[in-house]
Amino acid sequence: MTEQERRPVLTKLTLTLYWGSIFLGLTLPWVVRIAHEVYASHVPWIEAMRSLNRQLFAPGYNLFLVGAMNAAPFAIFALFILFHLGRAHLCEPATVTRRIGGALGGTAVLLGVSLWAHIGTVVYPDAQGALLYFFLPFYLLLLTPLGYVMGHIVGRWLGGRAGDRMP
Amino acid sequence: MTQRQIWLNVAGLLALIGLCAGWYWQSTGVRAIPALTHSLKDEQTQTRVFAAQGLAETGVAAKASVPDLLEVALHDPVQYAAAEAAKALTRIDLAAARQVMAAYLPLLQNQDVQIRRKACAVLASLGPVAKPAVPSLLGALDDEDDLARDRAVDALAMIGVPATTVLPALTRALEDKTAFVRYTATRHFAFTLTPPPDSWPILRRRMHDQDKGVASLAGVALDRAMRESAPKASVYAQMIGMNTSTGYALQQLAMQGPGAAEAVPEIMRALQDDQALHRYLAVEALGAIGPQAASAVPVLTRMLTDDDAVVRASAAEALAVIGGAGPP
Repeated sequence: MTEQERRPVLTKLTLTLYWGSIFLGLTLPWVVRIAHEVYASHVPWIEAMRSLNRQLFAPGYNLFLVGAMNAAPFAIFALFILFHLGRAHLCEPATVTRRIGGALGGTAVLLGVSLWAHIGTVVYPDAQGALLYFFLPFYLLLLTPLGYVMGHIVGRWLGGRAGDRMP
Repeated sequence: MTQRQIWLNVAGLLALIGLCAGWYWQSTGVRAIPALTHSLKDEQTQTRVFAAQGLAETGVAAKASVPDLLEVALHDPVQYAAAEAAKALTRIDLAAARQVMAAYLPLLQNQDVQIRRKACAVLASLGPVAKPAVPSLLGALDDEDDLARDRAVDALAMIGVPATTVLPALTRALEDKTAFVRYTATRHFAFTLTPPPDSWPILRRRMHDQDKGVASLAGVALDRAMRESAPKASVYAQMIGMNTSTGYALQQLAMQGPGAAEAVPEIMRALQDDQALHRYLAVEALGAIGPQAASAVPVLTRMLTDDDAVVRASAAEALAVIGGAGPP
């Protein structure tokens, strides 16, 4: 793939990861709550969404702040993706593959850990839940580089295999 | 991507952050009062409850919502919504909160057990503001309905003052025939009220209660009693002025009576608080301390012209107890 061919593909991927990460970071705690109400408490979708709307700014719930706090590490990583992948078309193909792997790895860790934590607080609610909402962004910021490195390694491995198959 | 595209996306993120911040700003604090007031009429109970809680957080700024809160507190069929509206009124307008109390007091003798239960629950939510309801609630401790008795115990514990009346009543409730009523009384002694010495032998017996929950809490309550046998007025005095604990600290000091004399200077500072509830509790605490709070007489005399009628009445009572100038 030439640089000209790579460019639109990379742009699309970068923008998808950038805005997708921000959007998911903000809405993930809300989606988890709605899904829990629908599947565990058998509340109709529309009622679950109304309930979420009521709890966005309600004292003791503040789900808007929960979403905003959860979105912070996602937004930071999204900015990193934007600058890291946004100009990657100028790099060697192997470097591009490694960077894509890193970006996907970091995003996967962010999503996985955040999803696990929010499902945990909704399924097993207790008074310490608020503490998790406070500390989770910091844990996510610490774990994301790990996901990036793992994705980077996988990307290098895949890039190497693709290179081996080349005639 | 070009540099320009990258920076446009960064600007997009900043715009999104600004939008979210604007949404949050618009939906919280005093700006949310009109929407919250409107939500008090919502058909969903949860919405009405959240609206009442939100208005309580805004405090005196929500004065215009008092008629709607009164409507919910007095006529909402759902006990929880009525109780939350009543609780909100204690943060906004004490006179309106007393109106709620006055409306629910006769209901303690109603034939309908549900109404008696609701009356107890609403009076509990009013906290120390419902002090004049204590004699009627003492009568409710003999209600034939277990749940009504349980809620009466809870209401007395939440009101807390005058401690000389409330604590013996709660001590009596430790020996109620129903386990969950004993549980409620023991829970309050374990976590919110210091058990008086008269209650210690009963709590010791309760440690062998057939109900495991009561037995466990009795142990916690006794442990608390041993640790706090000398009331720590200075600790509560330090809590005055902290946003979330001022009300609790003042109520605890009001319950300690003359034992809280060392905290008089800090209590006097709370008389200048913006929240009428805190001023009321400070006056109650000084009144409970009695003649040892004589240094507060000049400032208490000024409280006779306080904006809030309940604070004014309480100041007159406190002055009469302390021995200063009575009501004009």
